[in-house]
Amino acid sequence: MADADKTAKPDPIIQLIVFRLGEEEYGIRIEQVKEVTITPDIARMPKTPAFVKGIANLRGDIIAVIDLEERFQLRSPDQPMPAVTYTMALEAKDYTIGIMVREVPQPLSVAQSVIEQTPEFIQEANIHDKYIEGIAKIGPRIIVVLDMLKLLTPAEIMQLQPAEASSPELGRTTG
Amino acid sequence: MSGREQEYREIFMAEALEYYDAMSRHISELEREPTNEPALRELFRLMHNLKSNARAMGYTSIGEVAHQMETIFGLIRDENRAFGGSLVPVLFGGIDSIGEMIRAVGENEPMPDVERLLDNLDRLAKGEEPNLEEEEADDEEDVSRKLELSDLVYIQVRKLDHLMNLVGELIIDRDRIQTLSREINHPALTTAAAHFSRIADELQYSVMDARLVGVGSLFSKFPRVVRDVAAAEGKDVELTLVGEDIQIDRNILQIITDALLHLVRNAIGHGLETAAEREAAGKPGQGHLTLSAQAERDDVLVQVRDDGRGINVESVRRKAVERGLVSKAAAAHLSDEAVRSFLFEPGFSMAKEVTEISGRGVGLDVVKLAIDSLGGQLRVDSVMGEGTTFTLVLPTSIAVKGALLFELENRNYAIPLMHTDSVVSLLPDSFNVVGGLLITRLQGENVPVVDLRRLLHNGDGPLPPASKADLQGRQDIIIVNYNNRRLGLIVDRFLRQQDIVVKPMSKPLDTIDLFGGVTLLGSGQVCLVLDVPALTRLFLAKRP
Repeated sequence: MADADKTAKPDPIIQLIVFRLGEEEYGIRIEQVKEVTITPDIARMPKTPAFVKGIANLRGDIIAVIDLEERFQLRSPDQPMPAVTYTMALEAKDYTIGIMVREVPQPLSVAQSVIEQTPEFIQEANIHDKYIEGIAKIGPRIIVVLDMLKLLTPAEIMQLQPAEASSPELGRTTG
Repeated sequence: MSGREQEYREIFMAEALEYYDAMSRHISELEREPTNEPALRELFRLMHNLKSNARAMGYTSIGEVAHQMETIFGLIRDENRAFGGSLVPVLFGGIDSIGEMIRAVGENEPMPDVERLLDNLDRLAKGEEPNLEEEEADDEEDVSRKLELSDLVYIQVRKLDHLMNLVGELIIDRDRIQTLSREINHPALTTAAAHFSRIADELQYSVMDARLVGVGSLFSKFPRVVRDVAAAEGKDVELTLVGEDIQIDRNILQIITDALLHLVRNAIGHGLETAAEREAAGKPGQGHLTLSAQAERDDVLVQVRDDGRGINVESVRRKAVERGLVSKAAAAHLSDEAVRSFLFEPGFSMAKEVTEISGRGVGLDVVKLAIDSLGGQLRVDSVMGEGTTFTLVLPTSIAVKGALLFELENRNYAIPLMHTDSVVSLLPDSFNVVGGLLITRLQGENVPVVDLRRLLHNGDGPLPPASKADLQGRQDIIIVNYNNRRLGLIVDRFLRQQDIVVKPMSKPLDTIDLFGGVTLLGSGQVCLVLDVPALTRLFLAKRP
């Protein structure tokens, strides 16, 4: 009886939306994703950090679109964004925000138990450790599961890069 | 009867009926519990309000009864009388009579006779016994009295706001559908789109109209404020209210409430002199304060005018130089008007000395911010010794704004007309370079001109010095005006003038104050709405 209970202890299945940033794969819980669409026409907003791509009209909602590769410096300069990109509209606490990605994000079901806690050395080494919920290992793939609600606080998003990294970035948009 | 009178009568009826219901309720409570203090206070207040409203509308007999009743309730409240004995039927009868009189107003019938009631109330006030004979006779009729439902509906502003937001969305879709129908050019679609547009327009105006209230609903609170402030300051002030009928969006009125309160307090505290000072200056001892509203095209002008000592421009000029807002040489050449606008600089009027010297008090920058948030303008005119006038230029409605659309780097932008002076198209030889700044002469005034592209995309550093070599061909320039500072913005191309629905910037971008919001164009394109106050501040901070 007790044994049966143990083996039947449910291992909840979690639906993730998996996307690529730089060289790695990242995942978000599906309930935090409102929709995925081809990136609509974006109006660049002057005087915002370069990783804020601008604002776009998503079915009447005006949302900000940000580029996380740029935000976390995950992109090497020889890898520009392709002409057609995709935007995931994510539901933050009280607003919607768009995350621009280079490939179509894919749904993926994983068992809760597959998601491992982040190793401690990453927690310490990585700048964006606090948004990492865990790491899912599926065969050869390693998917970093992000906690979007923590990532998407306005203060977190608008936080400027360290001056030496951001100034040339901003300067480049001139002219 | 004019529409306005009819409207006032409806409002009076709605309020009076509500008062009557509340009175009936409270007096019943009082009968159960004669010392119920909240009920007593409430009855006193209701009688007082009904009296004021009725007298304002010219219903003297309602006013008279309410006045007498108020007196009696006042006596009970102050424990000079007890709620009991022969007093009770008279007061119940009085409230019934008030109900009958209100109904008579509503049905345009002659007022019932209240002589006897007034006589009885008078006796009670004097402490005599009322004449209660035959009082029973009317009672049966009273029991069968009609129950009235008001013709007016009270609605929460929140619901109106929601309605307004929805209409805003609808207007954006209307533009989009119109554009599509022109592109597709199908007769049935064109007809349907035209009809849809008409309905959407009408809906928009109806909802905007539903939100309008008379400025009087705010003005009417000022006689009391003026009385209290004047008493505290030991001054004799007469207040005149003008244009209480002018209609304005309720939320705008709400936002300017504090600003207006501030201006009025300032005018009494610092603008107007004491009676002795006034007489010494050869003016009548009683100071005069006027609150006025007038409609001007699509705007509403609200003015606070006093006949006090006025603003000493020279001391403001001196102070502006001391505080480093302007160089001494430049200050000497500024017009009085330009100098007075320093009063609205953040922190400027906080300085105590200025309060004393200029006679103007604390926190005008706060007033300025409130008006800016509405996309309005604040002006001040003053003549030394004769008085000061503050003018608030306000939009009638928050949601829809007239705007000028222009193009910059293949993007559409909008700038509110409220802050737009004019548009000009100039050849490069109309400019001079002074101290790294482009200057052009317009209507006898030197106006700095800046390339908007550079201002917006220059990163964090100051602007590079301007050079005439950068200018090629005709330059399209929008002259904006904020706080008496004119500034020319070079844009790529003027597009058109259009009424736009401004949506506030969504989080997390709402911290960027350079944009007052966004709007969607008929093409579905997102269009940023520039905020002229923030743009002017940016220019001042970044000028070379």
